[in-house]
Amino acid sequence: MRKLFGRLLLLGALAGGVVAARGYLKRGMPGEEVVQIVFDDGSTYVLASNSVEGQEFTDIARKVVEIGV
Amino acid sequence: MAETGGAGSTENLDRVLADLRALSGDIASCSVLSKDGELLASSHGEGVDRERVAAMVAALVNLAERVARENDKEHASQVRVKAEGGHVLLVRLDAGDALAATTGPDARVGLVLYDMRNARGEVEKVLEGGREA
Repeated sequence: MRKLFGRLLLLGALAGGVVAARGYLKRGMPGEEVVQIVFDDGSTYVLASNSVEGQEFTDIARKVVEIGV
Repeated sequence: MAETGGAGSTENLDRVLADLRALSGDIASCSVLSKDGELLASSHGEGVDRERVAAMVAALVNLAERVARENDKEHASQVRVKAEGGHVLLVRLDAGDALAATTGPDARVGLVLYDMRNARGEVEKVLEGGREA
């Protein structure tokens, strides 16, 4: 019984480690480019999905796509 | 539907939007929004909350203008937003009005924007005629 409990504990620790490592690696990755703005001078500005501004755009855009314009 | 320049202007704007949709099959819906956030014309029929649509498109236009100001630019002339379920595309017209369109997720967005830019002149001409009337 003690042996089984020990193995379960080890498995749990391993699973936790994998989840934590995935979260850490994902945090460092750049988000998907979701917004592209072209200014009047021809320059382009891109916002990623993991930025606050990018999320502001996509939150509204999602609703607009749902109901149409 | 348009309130700028009376019924003739409305019909002309509706015709331009219908032509744009016919030209660009990827467009699910399109509309023209005034600088003041008023929906001048829309490809939508009755039953759609026009005020809500206008408010949401105006919010996107305002966000884009804010980004432009933050980057020391005068205006955002084109905006492309990828969202769950599709894209929202905006093209700025003269005098601050906007041409807006939505597409599905697999649309050829570059091509749609090209068609929208080509339709811009026609929309501006109709709006200008409506303002002069």
